[in-house]
Amino acid sequence: MTLYSLAPRADFPLLTSQPSLHYLDSAATSQKPQVVLDALQSFYQTRNANPHRGAYALSAAATDAYHDARATIAGFLGVADSDTLIFTRGTTEAMNLIASSWGSANVTAGDEIVITALEHHANFVPWQQLARRTGATLRIVELTALQTLDLDQLRDLVNGRTKLVAVTHVSNAVGSITPLAEVVRLVRARSSAIIVVDGAQAAPHLAVNFEALGIDFYAFSGHKLLGPMGIGGLVGRRALLESMPPYHFGGDMIEWVHDFDSTWNVLPHKFEAGTPNAADAVALAAAVRYLQALGMDHVRAHEVRLLELAELRVRALPGVTVYGPSPAERSGVLSFSLADVHPHDLATILDQHGVCIRAGHHCAQPLMRRLGVSATARASFYVYSDESDVDALCGALEAAQTLFATVD
Amino acid sequence: MSAMYQDALLSHYRAPHHRREIVASTAATTRRNPVCGDEIRVMVVIADGRIADVAFTGRGCSIATASASMMTDAARGETIADALLMTEQVERMLTGDETPGALPDTLAPLRGVAPFAGRHGCALMPWMALRDCLRS
Repeated sequence: MTLYSLAPRADFPLLTSQPSLHYLDSAATSQKPQVVLDALQSFYQTRNANPHRGAYALSAAATDAYHDARATIAGFLGVADSDTLIFTRGTTEAMNLIASSWGSANVTAGDEIVITALEHHANFVPWQQLARRTGATLRIVELTALQTLDLDQLRDLVNGRTKLVAVTHVSNAVGSITPLAEVVRLVRARSSAIIVVDGAQAAPHLAVNFEALGIDFYAFSGHKLLGPMGIGGLVGRRALLESMPPYHFGGDMIEWVHDFDSTWNVLPHKFEAGTPNAADAVALAAAVRYLQALGMDHVRAHEVRLLELAELRVRALPGVTVYGPSPAERSGVLSFSLADVHPHDLATILDQHGVCIRAGHHCAQPLMRRLGVSATARASFYVYSDESDVDALCGALEAAQTLFATVD
Repeated sequence: MSAMYQDALLSHYRAPHHRREIVASTAATTRRNPVCGDEIRVMVVIADGRIADVAFTGRGCSIATASASMMTDAARGETIADALLMTEQVERMLTGDETPGALPDTLAPLRGVAPFAGRHGCALMPWMALRDCLRS
């Protein structure tokens, strides 16, 4: 039975204009539906003014649009108190915000920070550097032989000195889904550490409910969930956010500026210095509504079917190694290598067949070291992917094998 | 596609020349490609101002490995100045700006990489390592 895309390809102008393209790099960034592009253009054409500034109707319209976007996106992530959603440029900035603001106010020498070997550099380097800056000790949870998080080791590493545990919800490099409920239970039983979750790869693919997760911070990127580049956010518990010092200083984030001191605005403005990225927030809200119309349960089910099909067919090729746990424990990503063909060569050859995949370390060098490779090839799927993409991937992989086998 | 992955290039990848350690090298440097995590180490022995021996180790894609293999053939026996000029010409070859006749025919398979801008870094990695060696 043919597996069709969940979302109509006709909704995606780039895919429509390049019908022979097989875009399998959605974990890097997703394609954008027309409704998102329309929302972006419409903001600039009909409501463009600086939010929170002008005492005129147009500025009020811009403010309302920005406010409504925040509420829509907060709702999508299961956040009741939408002022606890801080807009950032994306996950990377969100992590840096926590490390810089919460980290410098709360972490000192002798404290411990726990991260994992699965992390993207954006959820690794900020904590590594925070530890170096403060003299805290960095602990890294390793992987099991099945390439899942070693929860036994997590249990051993978390103790009364642990101040922060940072973990990804879904690995960008191999796609594994973290059992967050178990992580939260282990951490809460052993420490008063805050729990920071990188949702960059999870928010586009899984139904996320921040309140139900029982964590302290959740970061995400809009461009991976059909939204524009340059907008994402950080969701946090109100009490934590209110206790934290500002991250950036400037307009909008202040309450009052005296000559030699200042006071800070309320949430979310305290963490949004300068003119906000209202247009992209409005477009991201349109993306979220599009995903809500598809239904996140359907999004997940579609990807599992595609992933299972792709894995079955890719594994049937000789010399294939697939990384990460089984498809049911992964989201959206097939990370693999072919014997004798370097991932970088593979990506170039696949590109000649109109198949876009990522080859490299996926900004997860610590994980690559543990897998014993310098790079993998990664095909990643989304709502517009279908069986023809899997066909094209496998056809191009066979062509690559033939090319590299013809010499000698 | 075959413009880049010619047999001549792939045979260097399959059986690279001078892929070995030089224990008593005059200079050795390692270059890493931050995009893909590849790593090439180049070692040279200089005697009387010439490259008496040059070899490489490390892991790389077909382009990086084949380029390293060709480099160890082409730079062998050259003076330091000529090898640096050759390195510059390889860079210019990739951007379509080489001086005709400046490069030996043995490097011709590298021309196939020129249309693939995303792979220039792979081809250049061993040459940049050689340049670092010669300047040190």
